[in-house]
Amino acid sequence: MPTINLRGAQKNYGVNSANAVSDLDLEIRDGEFMCLLGPSGCGKTTTLRMIAGLENLSGGEIRVGDRVVDCVSGGVFVPPEKREMGLVFQSYALWPHLTIERNTDFGLRLRKLPKAEREERVERVMQALDIAKYRDRYPSQLSGGQQQRVALARMLAINPGVLLLDEPLSNLDARLRLEMRAELKRLHKEFKTTIVFVTHDQWEAMTLATTIAVMNEGTLQQIGTPNDIYDRPANRFVAEFVGSPPINILDFGDPGTSDVTDKAEAYLAAHLPGLRSIGSVGIRPEAIGYAARTEDVPEGSFSGETTVTGVLPTGGNWILELRTDNHTLFLTTHVPPRVEQGARVLFFAPPEALHVFDADGRRIAEADDRLRSTATYN
Amino acid sequence: MALLSESAKAVAAANGPAAPTAWQAWRYRLKVALREPTTLIGVLTALLFTYLIVVPIISIVLDAARVQFGHERRLSKDVGEFTLYYLDRVLFSPVSADLFWRPLLNTLSVAMGAILLSLVIGTVLAWLISRTDMFGRRWFATALIVPYMLPAWTFALAWTTLFKNRTVGGQPGWLEAVGLTPPDWLAYGRFPITIILALHYTPFVILLFGSALRRFDSQLEDSARILGARHHQVALQIILPLMRPALLSSMVLIFAKCLGEFGVPYVLGLPVKFEVLSTSLFRSIASRQTGVAGVIAGSIMLIGIITLLIDARLVREARRFVTIGSKGSMDRQSRLGRMRLPAAGFAATVFLMSVGLPLLTLFLSTIMKLPARFTLDNFTLDYWIGRDLDTVALKTGILLSPDLWAAAKNTLTIVGLASVTSGILGLLVGYVVIRTPVRLLSVYLRQVTFLPYLVPGIAFAAAYLSLFAVPRGPMPALYGTVVILVLALIADQMPYASRAGISAMTQLGKDPEEAAQIAGAGWLRRMTSIVIPIQKGSLVTGVLLPFISGIKGLSLFVILAVPSTDVLTTYSLRLVDYHYTQAANAVVLIIAAIAYLGTLITQKLTRTNLAEGLGS
Ligand SMILES: Nc1ncnc2c1ncn2[C@@H]1O[C@H](COP(=O)(O)OP(=O)(O)OP(=O)(O)O)[C@@H](O)[C@H]1O
Ligand SMILES: [Mg+2]
Repeated sequence: MPTINLRGAQKNYGVNSANAVSDLDLEIRDGEFMCLLGPSGCGKTTTLRMIAGLENLSGGEIRVGDRVVDCVSGGVFVPPEKREMGLVFQSYALWPHLTIERNTDFGLRLRKLPKAEREERVERVMQALDIAKYRDRYPSQLSGGQQQRVALARMLAINPGVLLLDEPLSNLDARLRLEMRAELKRLHKEFKTTIVFVTHDQWEAMTLATTIAVMNEGTLQQIGTPNDIYDRPANRFVAEFVGSPPINILDFGDPGTSDVTDKAEAYLAAHLPGLRSIGSVGIRPEAIGYAARTEDVPEGSFSGETTVTGVLPTGGNWILELRTDNHTLFLTTHVPPRVEQGARVLFFAPPEALHVFDADGRRIAEADDRLRSTATYN
Repeated sequence: MALLSESAKAVAAANGPAAPTAWQAWRYRLKVALREPTTLIGVLTALLFTYLIVVPIISIVLDAARVQFGHERRLSKDVGEFTLYYLDRVLFSPVSADLFWRPLLNTLSVAMGAILLSLVIGTVLAWLISRTDMFGRRWFATALIVPYMLPAWTFALAWTTLFKNRTVGGQPGWLEAVGLTPPDWLAYGRFPITIILALHYTPFVILLFGSALRRFDSQLEDSARILGARHHQVALQIILPLMRPALLSSMVLIFAKCLGEFGVPYVLGLPVKFEVLSTSLFRSIASRQTGVAGVIAGSIMLIGIITLLIDARLVREARRFVTIGSKGSMDRQSRLGRMRLPAAGFAATVFLMSVGLPLLTLFLSTIMKLPARFTLDNFTLDYWIGRDLDTVALKTGILLSPDLWAAAKNTLTIVGLASVTSGILGLLVGYVVIRTPVRLLSVYLRQVTFLPYLVPGIAFAAAYLSLFAVPRGPMPALYGTVVILVLALIADQMPYASRAGISAMTQLGKDPEEAAQIAGAGWLRRMTSIVIPIQKGSLVTGVLLPFISGIKGLSLFVILAVPSTDVLTTYSLRLVDYHYTQAANAVVLIIAAIAYLGTLITQKLTRTNLAEGLGS
């Protein structure tokens, strides 16, 4: 499948409503496993449906390779049945009046393939998804997870160049979800399809995707590899949306309200001289360490005094809640904590762990490099 | 300049396509809308229903204000010119009392009487069935609905069989035959009509009020009681106010039904010249008073529309109430204690009066030579299967009469054709209403197919007569043909058919179809392999329900049918007119049996609740 390109794609459902998706530029390359990630109502489903052609555009265009499949100003609209894409619905949308086998076979019949080839392909996907034994049942006789696999099989059978999946795992229990994740990853390798996967579950996105596109309120916030998204969030929204427990944000908005904030401001002023208009700084919980004595705090790191107000085990990991006068910081560790609630400790974070954002919440990339160089010098 | 436009282009290329102009956006939307036949089908069906529903109504209203054939001389105007003569004649002239005002008063008084009576009986029965431990309440829950499955004038015929006196010719009534001459007020007119309509529409109350009672959350009752309210306080201050929408709604529905009811007042009112609006309309049409008929039909429609608009308001109000109750926390029963048996006795009496007695009377009348003489030699099957009877016309038993079979065949073809067509059209309308991207079309289709619901059948039939009695444009005169009956029936049934179609399509959702679209199926393929197969069940209901209501329907046919296009209902009415009582009763029994069995089969097939098909 050639690259899919959305340019300025826009969707507005009603005359008086806000844009469900506005001015979206997105490139989905061949073989990519892309996750659309974002909070509920941010326009993920809408985006997917626009790509599939189930939703027409209010503006912009969509290209597949060099071919324009959807363009408002050009008056082009290629209907979904001609786009050769696969879409697995969140509700599965199996055809209740057809058996599992006929459900899987449906698309192949439409393509008028010879019977032998049809049977072979149906067999192959049914085996791959382990649903062959239900071939003569009707969808209502299957469990949610099994229906889910039929919905996938039905789309894989036609061997689409791109497979669009709308929160396909959200109705499954935790164990089945894990299995299906592994299954999807395997299918991605085996069938070599491009996959666009919608989810609001960040772990799902992190574990599956080769590329993640984070959306909020109809606009694209950042696109990049999972590591990019996590380690170099493009703005405060991405930083705060990805990661659990969420990133610690020190907001420089009102000076003097909190001594950690003041400390951070002083620290950055010292390490990033000349860099103005810093709006806030973020530190991931796992980047924060703690120590009982000043000697144990690594030199050059950003640090301060706090009280431990909570020790929360999460099964293998621990979350520490640290309180400095009127600011709470979270840190996570996988080493059993050696402190009690109420203990006074020092927290610290290495300079390269600080995410610096400007007043509008955008990441200041320049700060990254300079902080990293600080780190290596120490 | 050139430089500037070059750089503008570069910017546009970098930022993707420029924002579309209004014209481009419009062209794109048009393209998307016309890509599939949905919109085209929508436009075609919209046109069809405009012609079948809106135009006849407009035509009859225009008739009311235009000079008709035969009146040119008197009004010294040409045919078709504007005139207020008919309006004046119906509403203000010396004959207006006979034509309109007295029938109107009679209609209102009969309807009010029927409403009151059925409310009293119906609410008690509804409560007994749904909230008490009365004996046999499950059985009664079905049995007491039966009167509604039978044509109303079945009861009218049973009544005349019992109470007829010498005012009318033919076989004497049973009471007369045993020497007790019933007075006119008991035999004909307001009293029997009211009673019969009340019994016929009591099931409405039982269904509507009963379902409201069942939905009622008993926690509301309990909380009141915990706060110290006594039984009667709870009933008056909590239950009654919450039940009010259901009660009002059944009142309004019964009124609308009474307004269009023709058979009962025709059979029971005619002998004593007791006229209601529908019979007055019938008389005007029969005497070719087209203009007058237009005014009366228009008035009936107006009253009908107002009534149902009120109902729509009430339903909306009721919905507000429904959200209060949490579901499922009901079904607590009051213990009747010593009253258990008397309560069941009451229900049984109502059943006997409204189903048992009428049907038994009708049946006995068809196998007895002389009325009310219960000796063995008086029983005969001649009226069913006899040959060479000494009657003037109908010389064989009814089952051997070719007229019956002709009427049965007509019924099946006309009603069958109309039901199948309206079932399919209903599904199509549902499809378009739900799927078309053109909102206006969706709204219009929904409204126009609902319109006949607001117009009593008899007025609608009059409208058809007005439009199709003479050739217009390419359309030949249709009066006297099967076509006019089929068309009128289709239009008349569209409210139910389209509502069924819309709700079926709403339930289906768009996912299965979109999934097929993704799999590569074009429109036609999606219809034939996805939509229609999945909707098979609702299509069957959409055909069967109109079929049953068509079989027992009378008011449309009585105006539009001629002897050669007789259906079972009009045939039996013709037999009544000729005083072939036994034969008429036999035909009515056949109709009742078909309607009853049909309803049962539909319910079994679709596992639907009758309450949903209530309006039909
Ligand atoms: N058919 C529709 N008509 C009107 N508004 C719609 C329609 N579908 C979606 N919207 C609106 O568009 C916005 C984006 O919806 P969308 O379904 O794309 O969100 P989503 O990111 O998929 O959310 P979720 O995670 O809850 O599925 C929402 O504000 C939603 O209310
Ligand atoms: Mg969604």
